[in-house]
Amino acid sequence: MQRIIYGILSLVSLALCLIFPIVHFMGKIKAARFKSGFLFASLAWFIFVALWATRPKKSSKT
Amino acid sequence: MAGKIAVQASRLDKLYEFDREPVSPDKLQSGGKFAGLFAGEHVAATEFVIGAFFVLHGVTAKDLIYGLLLGNLLAVLPSLGVRSDFANVWDVAKTKVWNGIAAPGQDQFGFWHILFFAWFCNLAMHIGLSDLAIFRYAKKWTYGLYTAFGMYPGHMLAWICSGIMVVAVGRQMNPALMAFEAAGFAGVAGVLFVGWTTANPTLYRAGLALQAVTPNWPRWKITLAAGTLTTVISCFPVVFVKLLDYVAIYGLVLMPIGAVVFAEHWVLPLFSMEQYRAEKFGWMINGRALAVWIGTLVICFFLPIHLYFRWLPGYFIALVSYVLLQAIKKNNR
Repeated sequence: MQRIIYGILSLVSLALCLIFPIVHFMGKIKAARFKSGFLFASLAWFIFVALWATRPKKSSKT
Repeated sequence: MAGKIAVQASRLDKLYEFDREPVSPDKLQSGGKFAGLFAGEHVAATEFVIGAFFVLHGVTAKDLIYGLLLGNLLAVLPSLGVRSDFANVWDVAKTKVWNGIAAPGQDQFGFWHILFFAWFCNLAMHIGLSDLAIFRYAKKWTYGLYTAFGMYPGHMLAWICSGIMVVAVGRQMNPALMAFEAAGFAGVAGVLFVGWTTANPTLYRAGLALQAVTPNWPRWKITLAAGTLTTVISCFPVVFVKLLDYVAIYGLVLMPIGAVVFAEHWVLPLFSMEQYRAEKFGWMINGRALAVWIGTLVICFFLPIHLYFRWLPGYFIALVSYVLLQAIKKNNR
C-alpha cells in the first residue's frame, strides 16, 4: 500500500514539475512563483520516487 | 573511524557483479531499467554546454534540427522520424537563437558538424563498445535500441534547450547562470543531479575496464580511483572550455578498440581465423591490437579533415588493418 501511495505522490510531483513552467509560459504566474513551485515539486519528486523505488514489491506468491 | 572504514571496505569487497564472468540468467534486467539508465545517463550536465556551444558556433535552426535528428538516428540506428510545425516558434528560433552567426573566436558550424557531433558524441560507448559492460545484463539484444531514450531527450531536446538558455543570458558560456536563470535553484540542482546520474554508469564501465588489467584489485577500489582522478581533472577549465573537442577526442581514442573487438567477434570467423588468441594464450598485451590502435590514431591525427569527421574513416582503417594483420600472421604460421 505504501508503495502505491509513494508512486502516486511521485507522479503528482512530476506532473507539477511540468505544469509550473507551462502555466508560467502562458503568463498566468510570475517567474519567482514558477521557480519556487518548480523547486518544491522537484524536491518532492526526488523524495517520493526514492521512497517508491526502495519499497519492496508485493510478492505474487500466496 | 578506521574501524568503520574497514567494515565498509569489507562489505564492498563482498559485492559481486560478475566482474570477469558471464551474468547469470536470474540477474538479467528488463528493458525499462535500460530505458531509465540511458535517459539518466545521456541527459547530462555537459548538455548545458554542448547545446550552448552550437549557438556560439553560429549554427542555423534548420541545420541544428536536421543535424540532430539524423545524427542521433545514426547513433541509435532504429528508423524514426519527427517533424514539427510551429511557425512562430520557428521564426524566433531562426532569428533570435540559431541565427547562423558565430560568436567571435568560434568556428562556423553547419549541418555536417551537427550531424557528426550527434553521431560521435558518446562514440566511446557506442562504436567503442564500452556499453557492453552494461548490456551484459540485457535480456534481449533489442535493448541496444533503448539508447534512444538517452539520445533524443538528452542529445536533442537538452541541447536545443541549452541553446535557448545561453541566448537568455546574453550568449555567455556560463552553465550555472543559464540553469539558475531558467529554473532557479531547481535548475542548479538539476545540473548536479544529471552529473551524478551520468557519472554512475560511466564510472562503472571505467572500473570494470581497468579491473581487467588489475584483476587482484576489487572493482570498488578501481572505481573509486577512477572517480577521484576524473573529479580532479574536471576541476580544470580546459575540459569545459574545449568540451566539444574533448568529446571528439575521447571518442576517437576508444574507437579503434571497438573496431578490434568487432573484428575479433564477427569478422575473423568469416575468414576462418582463430579468435581470442590473447585470452587463450594469456597475453598481457595484444601486439596487433596495440599496433592498430596507435596506427589508427596517428593516421586520424594527420587526416586533412575536421576533427569531428575523422573517426569514420578511422574506424574502417582500424577494422581492415586488424583483419589484415591477423591474416598475415596466419599465413606466417
